[in-house]
Amino acid sequence: MDLAYTLVFTVFPYLCLTAFVLGHACRYITDRYGWTARSSEFLEKKSLWAGSTLFHWGIIFTFFGHAGGLLIPQRVFDLFGIRADAHMTVAYWSGLAVGVAAFIGILLLAWRRLVQPRVRVVTTVNDAVTVGALIVVIGLGLYNVLFGHYNVLYTLAPWIRGIVTFTPDPTLMREVPLSYKLHVTAAWALLGFSPFSRLVHIWSVPIYYLLRRPIVMRRLVQG
Amino acid sequence: MKISVQIAMVLNLDKCIGCHTCSIPCKNVWTNRPGAEYMWFNNVECKPGIGYPKQWEDQERHRGGWELENGHLRLKAGGKVHKALNIFHNPDLPTIDDYYEPWDYDYQRLIDSPRRRHQPSVRPRSQLTGEPMDPKWGPNWEDDLAGLAETGSGDPNFSGLEKDAYLQFRDVFMFWLPRLCEHCLNPACVASCPSGALYKRAEDGIVLVDQERCRGWRYCVSGCPYKKVYFNWQTGRAEKCILCYPRLEAGLPTLCAHSCVGRIRYLGVLLYDAEHVSEAAATPDPRQIYPAHLDLLLDPRDANVQKAARSQGIAENVLAAARHSPVHALIKEWRLALPLHPEFRTLPMVWYVPPLSPVASRVASGETVDALDQLRIPVAYLANLLTAGDEPPVRLALKRLGAMREFMRVRRVEGRDAPKPLDAVGLDPETVEKIYRLLALAPLAERFVLPTAPVADDGIYRRQGACGYGDAV
Repeated sequence: MDLAYTLVFTVFPYLCLTAFVLGHACRYITDRYGWTARSSEFLEKKSLWAGSTLFHWGIIFTFFGHAGGLLIPQRVFDLFGIRADAHMTVAYWSGLAVGVAAFIGILLLAWRRLVQPRVRVVTTVNDAVTVGALIVVIGLGLYNVLFGHYNVLYTLAPWIRGIVTFTPDPTLMREVPLSYKLHVTAAWALLGFSPFSRLVHIWSVPIYYLLRRPIVMRRLVQG
Repeated sequence: MKISVQIAMVLNLDKCIGCHTCSIPCKNVWTNRPGAEYMWFNNVECKPGIGYPKQWEDQERHRGGWELENGHLRLKAGGKVHKALNIFHNPDLPTIDDYYEPWDYDYQRLIDSPRRRHQPSVRPRSQLTGEPMDPKWGPNWEDDLAGLAETGSGDPNFSGLEKDAYLQFRDVFMFWLPRLCEHCLNPACVASCPSGALYKRAEDGIVLVDQERCRGWRYCVSGCPYKKVYFNWQTGRAEKCILCYPRLEAGLPTLCAHSCVGRIRYLGVLLYDAEHVSEAAATPDPRQIYPAHLDLLLDPRDANVQKAARSQGIAENVLAAARHSPVHALIKEWRLALPLHPEFRTLPMVWYVPPLSPVASRVASGETVDALDQLRIPVAYLANLLTAGDEPPVRLALKRLGAMREFMRVRRVEGRDAPKPLDAVGLDPETVEKIYRLLALAPLAERFVLPTAPVADDGIYRRQGACGYGDAV
C-alpha cells in the first residue's frame, strides 16, 4: 500500500515534472518552428468564438485559483484573518464559475473539432489527446467542486507544496477521496504531456509586447 | 539625421497588360506548399473590383493599418490592451473564404479511367478537405471585369464618384494592379505582432517574419491594410512576401520583377530619414501624407547626405546604387510614381505610375477644362487609389506621361523638337529623354539597380538547402 502511494503520489508526479521541464527544453531547442498554438480561426471563425473565449479565460483563472489556494499555506491566510471555511467558500464559488466556463469552453471546442470538416482536417492525434486530457482533468475538477465537498487545505494542499519544495509526503494523500486523487493524477499526466502538444503556446504569452516599441528593426550583419 | 536604406519597387501601370506572369514564378518558388496554396505573395488585381482578399481596401471592414487618435498614431484594430483581451479570438481576422478555398483537380482519373464511351472528366477538389467542391470565388475571379455588376459597387475607390455610371458597359474602365507586400516604412504588421516575430531589416528595409519566433497569434494578418501577410493553415504561422531577399542580396531582381514581360517593374535603393518616419505617418491631413512621405526621401547625390550615410556605416556600393536608383528618379525627381493608399499611414514602399487610358466615348457635356477628364479612367478613382483622393499629384503624373508621348511622337514623326507640351508640365527635353529611356527602352541593368549584400557568413554553402520554410525542404 505504501509502495503504491509512493509510486502514484511521489514518483509519478516527479516523472511528469521531469518530462515537463526536459520536454519543454528539448522542444524549444529542436522544434522552435513547431512552437505555436496552431490556431484554426483562419479556417473557421464563427463557432470558435464562444468556445475559445470561455475556455481560455476559464482555464487562466482556474490556474491562478489553484496556484493561490494550494501553494500558499492556510496559515498565511490565517495571518490575514481568512479562516479555512471562508477560504473554502470563496474557492467553491469562484472555482465553480471559472470551472464551468472552462468545461463548457473545452466541450464547445471539442465539438467544433468534430463537426467542422475544415477543422477536423487539421486535427492531429496529438490534438485529440490534448483535448481529451483537458476534458478529463477539468471534468474531474468540476465534479470535485460540485460533489466532492472535501476540505483540501490540510491534506492535498500540503502534499502539493511538498512536491514543489522537494519534500514529498505521499501519506498526506491517504484520506483524500478517489475523485480528487484521479484529478491530480490526470493533471500530472497532462502536465507531463504538455511540452509535446500545442499547449506550449502558453509559454509564449506576449508580455514583452506590452513594453516594446511598435516597429522592430533587426540588423543582419552585426557591427 | 538617421539615414536608412530601403529597397523600393515602382510599377508602371501604364504598361501592365494583366498577364499574371509575375505571379507564376513567385507562386512556384515561394508558396507551392501545403497550407500555402491560397497565398499569392504577388497577385494581379483587375480594377475596379473588390480584390483579394475581398474588399481588402475597406478598412472599416478589415480594420488594418493605422489611424490618428488625438494626433497620435494608433493601430486601427486597437492598442496593446485590446489585443491582449482578444488574443483568443481575433475579431478582425479574415477567414480563408475571404481569399478563396484552394482547389485542385483529380488528374489521376484521366490516366486511371477505364476505356469508356465518354471521356473521363476531372472534378475540382478542395485542397482543404479533399472533398469535391464547386468553386465560387478564386484569385482573379474578377479578371477582365468578370462579375463587376455584382461586386463593383464594393470597390471603395469609387468614393465621391457616381459609381453606377462607371459600372455601365458604355463607360466602364479597366486597368490592372499588381500587388505585393509594400515593405512599409511604418509597417502595421510589425507593430501588430505580439511575439515580435515580424521585423524590418535595417540593411534594406525588407519586412520579414521570423519563422522560429512566430507563434501564430494572427494579428499581423489583420493588421496589414494591404492584406499581404498570410496565415499558413497547416503550420499555423504567418508568411509573407520576402521581396526575394536571397536574390536581392546577390544583386538579382525579385522573381516578379525579373519575369515581367511588360518590363513594368523597377527596383532600386532609396535613402530616407528614419527619424521622421512616425512624424510623416502621423500627418493630420491624409492628403498631406504623400508629400510628407516624399520629404522623407533623401537626395542620394547630396554631398551632405552621402557624408552622413558614410559616417553611419552605409556601404559604398549601396550609396552608388542609390545614386543610380531608377525608383528615386521615378518617385522623387519626376513625381511619376505614387504610393498605394497612403491614407493607411504605413508609408508603403511599392509605388505605382498611374495608367493613361483611351478617351471616353462619353465626352463630358460643355467644354472640359482638362483633357485628363476625358480619359476613361476617372482621375478621381486613381486619386482615391494612390493619393488619398488628392487629384493634383495624379494629374501631374498623367500630364507628364502624356507630354512625354507628345514630345517623342513629334520628334519621331516630324523630326523636330516641340518643347511646348513639356513647358506646361515643368520638364525639359533632356529629362524627358531620360524618362522615355527608363520607361520604354531601359534594359535589365537600368531597371534594376541593386547593391549586393556583404558576405558576412562563410558557412553559406554548408547551410544551402537547410534554411527557409521548415516544411519546404
